[in-house]
Amino acid sequence: MLLLLFLPFNAVAGVVTEPPPIFRSENYPCSTCHEAMSPNIERRPLQYHQEIDISAHAEDLFWCLNCHDMEERDKLRLINGEKVGFEEVYRLCGQCHGSIYKDWTAGTHGKRMGYWNGRKRYLLCTHCHNPHRPRFMPITPEPPPLRPEETLWKKIRAEG
Amino acid sequence: MEKDQSRGLISRRDFLRMTALGIAALSGGGCGDLWRDRFQEMSPEEIQDLLKRWEERYKKRYGVDIRVKATGPMEGVLFGYALDLSRCIGCRRCVYACVRENNPSRDVQIQWIRVLRLKKGEFRLEDSEHYYNPESVPEEGYFYMPVQCQQCERPPCVKVCPVKATWKEPDGIIVVDYDWCIGCRTCMAACPYRARKFNWREPALPKEEINPDTHYLGNRPRVKGVVEKCTFCIQRTREGRYPACVEACPVGARKFGNLLDPGSEIRYILENFRVFRLKEELNTEPKFFYFFSLGWA
Amino acid sequence: MREFIRGMFNVMFRGGRWFYLWMGLLTLLLALGVVGYIIQMRYGLVITNMREQVSWGFYISNFTFLVGVAAAAVLLVIPAYLYHFKAIKKIVVFGELLAITAVVMAMLFVFVDLGRPFRLWHIFPLWGSPNFPRSILAWDFLVLSGYLFLNLFAVVYIGYTRYMGKHPDRRIIIPLVMLSIPWAVAVHTVTAFVYNGMGARPFWNASILAPRFLASAFCSGPALMLIIFQVLRKVTEFEIQDKAIFKIAEMIAYAMGINLFLMLAEIYKEYYTATEHLTPMKYLYFGLDGHGRLVPWIWTAMVFNTAGFFLFLIPKTRKNFLTLNLGCLLIFLGVWIEKGIGLILPGFIPDTLGEVYEYMPSGYEVMVSLGILGAGGILYTLLVRTAIAIDTGRLRHPEAPALTHEEEEGPLARDIMTKRVISVTPETPVEEIGRLLVANRISGVPVVDSDGRVIGVVSESDIIFREVYEEPHLFERVASIVLPPEYRAMKKTGAYARDIMTTPPITAVETTPLRELVSIITEKKIKRIIIVNEREEPVGVVSRIDIVKALENISL
Repeated sequence: MLLLLFLPFNAVAGVVTEPPPIFRSENYPCSTCHEAMSPNIERRPLQYHQEIDISAHAEDLFWCLNCHDMEERDKLRLINGEKVGFEEVYRLCGQCHGSIYKDWTAGTHGKRMGYWNGRKRYLLCTHCHNPHRPRFMPITPEPPPLRPEETLWKKIRAEG
Repeated sequence: MEKDQSRGLISRRDFLRMTALGIAALSGGGCGDLWRDRFQEMSPEEIQDLLKRWEERYKKRYGVDIRVKATGPMEGVLFGYALDLSRCIGCRRCVYACVRENNPSRDVQIQWIRVLRLKKGEFRLEDSEHYYNPESVPEEGYFYMPVQCQQCERPPCVKVCPVKATWKEPDGIIVVDYDWCIGCRTCMAACPYRARKFNWREPALPKEEINPDTHYLGNRPRVKGVVEKCTFCIQRTREGRYPACVEACPVGARKFGNLLDPGSEIRYILENFRVFRLKEELNTEPKFFYFFSLGWA
Repeated sequence: MREFIRGMFNVMFRGGRWFYLWMGLLTLLLALGVVGYIIQMRYGLVITNMREQVSWGFYISNFTFLVGVAAAAVLLVIPAYLYHFKAIKKIVVFGELLAITAVVMAMLFVFVDLGRPFRLWHIFPLWGSPNFPRSILAWDFLVLSGYLFLNLFAVVYIGYTRYMGKHPDRRIIIPLVMLSIPWAVAVHTVTAFVYNGMGARPFWNASILAPRFLASAFCSGPALMLIIFQVLRKVTEFEIQDKAIFKIAEMIAYAMGINLFLMLAEIYKEYYTATEHLTPMKYLYFGLDGHGRLVPWIWTAMVFNTAGFFLFLIPKTRKNFLTLNLGCLLIFLGVWIEKGIGLILPGFIPDTLGEVYEYMPSGYEVMVSLGILGAGGILYTLLVRTAIAIDTGRLRHPEAPALTHEEEEGPLARDIMTKRVISVTPETPVEEIGRLLVANRISGVPVVDSDGRVIGVVSESDIIFREVYEEPHLFERVASIVLPPEYRAMKKTGAYARDIMTTPPITAVETTPLRELVSIITEKKIKRIIIVNEREEPVGVVSRIDIVKALENISL
């Protein structure tokens, strides 16, 4: 089991992963701005990235630089110091969420599209979860079915 | 496919043809219902003819080119489905993805998936709410359980059909031959999951909403007076694709695969999670499993 | 052929004012149904109030009820007459005609319930693809068709032989009748099994269902027959004794008793265990969260059935035609509700996903159902008129020899009986009876009640046996041990006719043939048969010596 945890993901055959959503962000690459800035490890309200509130993810344990690499600003940083790209974000998340990482690798966590017996399209953690606030936000449901009373003939006739 | 062998001086089908021809002649050939063969007993050539006939008919009726396939089952495949109740948020995206995919009647609504809302801490279907409609889901204190055809290994609906118009395919999908169903609705009474739906009137299917990729035993447009049901999107899954509901689920609660493949997602779930089947006491042996991947959702 | 068509035309279209009125009413109903069905054909079953929650409704309810009527028309009435060949012929005919009508109506109800009626042939053996042996509905279709054919064959055979001026062969009729009895049981059992076998519907999935079906069928079918018999007796020369009617009513009471008992057993089981299976029953009897459309119906049925049960159980109300007919009506309607909507609908409410949809039939469903009722009424009326016309000889093959009773059965009771009947009342002292027997050189006298009906017979042997030591009743023996002697008053037996008479009296009607009288006398080991009219008043006596004389006459 443990072994599986550290298997490089591309060992799973016939899998296509979508590019990470951050690649489409106007803020990417991060280095465009951060290259010139010196890293500030102090916990503080952010001036620029105001929408980011990390407190919803593991409360006060984390700060930006727990995950974002301090030197190579377009990379993420694992606990062991290894730097990984955003397309390998699952390795970062999997450090804490081991069982979910395992389920995701097996294809049972997260969304799968494409072919059940062939090329599957995998989504990355960050496709569905906001990494800074990973719990899903509520969404509006689709309308309920019609009640049988609403589909009776006199009703249909009346509505033409 | 079960083959029903009847050999005599003249075969049942010859007899059928002769009688039907007579009746068709008498009735001026107006009633298509009076002469017809059963899909299960047709030769591949006859099936090809049949599909072509239906494509022409649909073209005439809807003005749309609809492809009608009869893709057969794959060797060594038995379809299974799993649904993660700890993840489902009751958004009904699956319901409408299914409607868009499978060409059911929009008017006197037919929906193959029904999402039940249950109070946390309870599991009585009688207390479930089918018509919940809040601003947003999930709602505090509730969980959700989508129900659709459970593709039973021992399907009570097939057993009760008086005319063999419905059967279990080798890949485990329960299908209906819409051209053979007499509309007696005994299968609806026998199904413990309310998976079977009836076309109370000529289905209202706007042509701009038609999905033209269809299967004879699946999502081809139906007619008035016949029963239909979820087929695990036979038109997609027999070509290796995921069912529409699986791809539509925004939380990835729906899982699908080949039960005979030890490496499949579905087998992983059976081995790594605790699963249950709805109304297991009825011994219908569904191939639709519910599971909980999370303890805290 | 021409004659036959003319005859049939008369049978079907000639009649009195009441006939036209009756047929007019039925035709109106039929027309209503045809209109309703045309609308249903055009738009589909959407015009009904059935939906996926409640996918069977009024049509299938009526189907279920009518199968019961069809089964019981034959079941309860025929066995009661099996020993009485002359009478059974007519009763078989009327009972089987009712069975035919009820089966046809039941099949029509299934037919109108089909989404694709023109595909019905898919269920025919050989032609279609009936799902044997797994589908109970396929079996049901087979046994119902077989039942229809069986009854049809019997009546057509009887009708045809009579039409040709011949006699139906009892070697053909009796086996047919004997076969139709188990077949009737099968028909109703298989229909019950259609519902019974569904694990998805706990309300039906109780093994008591088939017995309940049979018990309630034994009530509704005969209740209808009793009314029909009375009507036939009034408007035709069809004879049926009051005694027979009362006997059938008594049997209905027992059947209803069993039906109520089985129902209570079911109610007990559901309520005491109170599992989730209770819910449909709760819905039916008390309503569920404010949904209770069936509640007034089922309680009406309960009241009707219970009232009918007591009306038929108590001899006084059973033997009064007003209360008897009221009982028939109550039981017929009670069972119609209980076994129709009261059985089919709770199977679907709440549905398998727990939803409650309060179904009640739409106007169109009622229309179509009335149409089938009209069709059934017309069918039965015409069948019965044909049967009567054939029986009375109005409809007969021109070259057929005239049928007489003598030719058919030999001498009848009325030809050989002693017409002078000396009868006594229950209050006549035994001494007096003894004097009558001696003075008139007779061996027994009928005992009649205040209405003149025979209620018993006092014979020489009754008077002789009275002198013999009588074994005291168990209670009396216990009493003789427990109680002090002064309480042990010895029973004074045999002071009056009522104390010593043999009951029930063995009677026959005036048209009973000699050979049957012979078989009764030898079977029952009696010395005389009291001959009664339709009011059960004694009109003659056939004693052993009368039979000897008659037999001598024949051989001379």
